[in-house]
Amino acid sequence: MQAGRRLRLPALRVVLQAWPWGLLLLALVGVRLSKGAGFSDAYALVSRPFWPGSAQGEWIRSAQSLNDQSRLRQLEVDNRRLRGLLELQGRGGREVAAPVISRQAGGWWQQLVIGGGELQGLRPGLPVLAPGGLLGRVASVTPTTATVALLTDPGSRVGVWVGRTQRHGLLTGIGTSRPVLRFLEKDPGVRPGDVVVTSPASTLVPPNLTVGVIQSVDDRAVPATEAVVQLSAPVEAVDWVQVRLP
Amino acid sequence: MNRLARHGWCLATALVVPWLVLASPGPLKLAGVAPAWPVLWLLPWALVDGPLSGALAGAGLGLLLDGLHLGPITEIPALALLGWWWGRLGRQGPPIERSFNLGLLALLGTALLGASLILQGLLLGWSAAEAWLPAPALHTWLAQTLLTGLLAPLLCSLQLLLWRQQTSGGRG
Repeated sequence: MQAGRRLRLPALRVVLQAWPWGLLLLALVGVRLSKGAGFSDAYALVSRPFWPGSAQGEWIRSAQSLNDQSRLRQLEVDNRRLRGLLELQGRGGREVAAPVISRQAGGWWQQLVIGGGELQGLRPGLPVLAPGGLLGRVASVTPTTATVALLTDPGSRVGVWVGRTQRHGLLTGIGTSRPVLRFLEKDPGVRPGDVVVTSPASTLVPPNLTVGVIQSVDDRAVPATEAVVQLSAPVEAVDWVQVRLP
Repeated sequence: MNRLARHGWCLATALVVPWLVLASPGPLKLAGVAPAWPVLWLLPWALVDGPLSGALAGAGLGLLLDGLHLGPITEIPALALLGWWWGRLGRQGPPIERSFNLGLLALLGTALLGASLILQGLLLGWSAAEAWLPAPALHTWLAQTLLTGLLAPLLCSLQLLLWRQQTSGGRG
């Protein structure tokens, strides 16, 4: 019994004296269970001044941009060559900027008069662009002015394309600020929010110019589905336009 | 007849009409629709100068404005008819001067002008005939008729005063 007591007392004392080691052991178990979270955070805190800075991010973005630009240039060259083979309308050459000097976007006629004409190389039929996309086409020219028939004009008809569903349609002006897109088939599978661009097969306007966004779809229209399109170019706000020369 | 037309500068004021059509001042629009400027100029002219002068002025104004607009739709028949009608009204009975009468004549004239445009759109079967069916066309027609009728008492009274001073001065 006495011998037993002698054996137990030193063991208890040793345990009590070794409490720092016990704490260390507990800490190590905590590290193990937390998968070293504390260490990672501490490391992050200490090494923060040496992290890759914004300059490095900029460098990578610049390289990415350079890569994108060279790819875009290459694709445009390819596209031009292929469109030439197919005898389709190209994206056109240089653009001539012209100010809007008269705006009649409401009322009986939907037209703009711009301050550029024959002297600047403009002629009827050329596409007119504004920030946001296609605005219309030149209808008539004088030496120093040109009248632009807007896409909303009742006489305007442009072949367009919904990229998501790859469906063609005819964008027809009806005298309101939102033209109607008439599809060639009954179920084109479009929905509000789809982006409308000029048709890649168009012979009148350059391909793939943004036109607008589908606002509503009428599946019950006869003979085929119709959609109302919100134009992306703000006719009422635009002060300058670009006319794309061939 | 044609007393007013003899004054060159009076006739030259007609050039303000295409200028206003092109400038299309924003504050004078109702729901994006501008008033019928040719009606506001033609009404006092025809009332003072008679049916022949009114019809000729209407036709001339129509020619001028048709040149500024796209498409085959013309304003000439309606404006010539209005000029003739208002000219006859000016020659028959007491002179028309009251604001209400001027507003009513302008309102009816603009309604007739708009109806002629809608009719032409339907008859000519323009590329988008549905554009001339009620929804958008009715909006333009109503807004323009209402706005022109409201502006006429203000603008036509002043013009009437000016033209009558000219013609009476010429006679005296």
